[in-house]
Amino acid sequence: MSLTTTPTGPGRPGSEVPPAQLTALDAARGSGVGSVPGREGARRRRSGHDVAITATGALALAGVVATVWLGLWVTPPDRFMGNLVRLLYIHPSIAWVMYICYGVAFLASLLYLWPRTRSLRFDKLAGASSEVGVVFTGLTLVTGSIWGRPTWGVWWTWDPLLTTTALLFVLYLGYLAVRRIPGEPEVCARRSAIAALVAFVDVPICYFSVLWWRSLHQAPTVADPITGKTYIHGSMAWTLLLSFVTFTLVYAWLVARRYRLFVLAEREGDEGLVLAIEERRAESLQGRS
Amino acid sequence: MNGYVEAGYVVGLGTLAGYAASLVARERSARRRLAGGGVRQVAAPSASESPAPGGEPSTVERPASPAAAPPPRHRR
Repeated sequence: MSLTTTPTGPGRPGSEVPPAQLTALDAARGSGVGSVPGREGARRRRSGHDVAITATGALALAGVVATVWLGLWVTPPDRFMGNLVRLLYIHPSIAWVMYICYGVAFLASLLYLWPRTRSLRFDKLAGASSEVGVVFTGLTLVTGSIWGRPTWGVWWTWDPLLTTTALLFVLYLGYLAVRRIPGEPEVCARRSAIAALVAFVDVPICYFSVLWWRSLHQAPTVADPITGKTYIHGSMAWTLLLSFVTFTLVYAWLVARRYRLFVLAEREGDEGLVLAIEERRAESLQGRS
Repeated sequence: MNGYVEAGYVVGLGTLAGYAASLVARERSARRRLAGGGVRQVAAPSASESPAPGGEPSTVERPASPAAAPPPRHRR
């Protein structure tokens, strides 16, 4: 139940809340702890966010269905790889999103460390994006392994791209562990932002490893990065493009949900602080009586 | 269809679906915790002990009655 107190304040003449129902939250609000100004406005804004997140989720789901249908039943098999080429509509898109995740985490961490743009929102965004990134990195490794077994004959090889991707996975798992070290929010955020910048060093190494070293993994073959000439056409090209868009939408939806979890956890922490104050106050009142 | 292809799709999409479901479940449980037991009623202080909070309008979640208030929880 939601009670709106009048400007006269609870416990005073004209208040909707009798003194007997005063809670420690009121006391905490009086001391500036746990105040919740503008929660109505936040609720209105949240409803707009909810609509956007739901729309993104619906689009992502429709995209996944379309990608699976096109990828498994509509597009033709490849001349050399046969049906194995259908993994093209899932594995590169997942790897693409992995790079987006870490790119966003890197930018958000930079924005947090930059004094003019310092805000815990960027810390939460970096955390959310990195966590989703770890999931996508794991999937990149697993789907790549499933593709590698029939084409290379092995589930795993210490290829530069595979090795640097596995390193990326471990680095960002470490980043997530760093985020869980307790401390003041600002200290934790700064520590995490620095860890994200350090971990990001591996991202360009991973991406360019197929060009820098002799690799079993193929170099970019969808399009020539210099001339822009494409090597894939027709329904295969459109399905690949759709899969990239779809998985980007999936990423946006997941990050939005994860970000909201950070916000809720923060609010729970605030209310936990209010509860602690309440308990201390109740103890002191009992001690007096 | 190739078994590797099916495995790739099942693992990829299944993992994402599982992760998405876990996020939704965690968010729902967090919202439930916040809505259900955010503020616990305490013994009423006397008027002289009661601090007079600031008079700014605010919206506070309160349980309907002391009986409806959940037991205190310990949070991190």
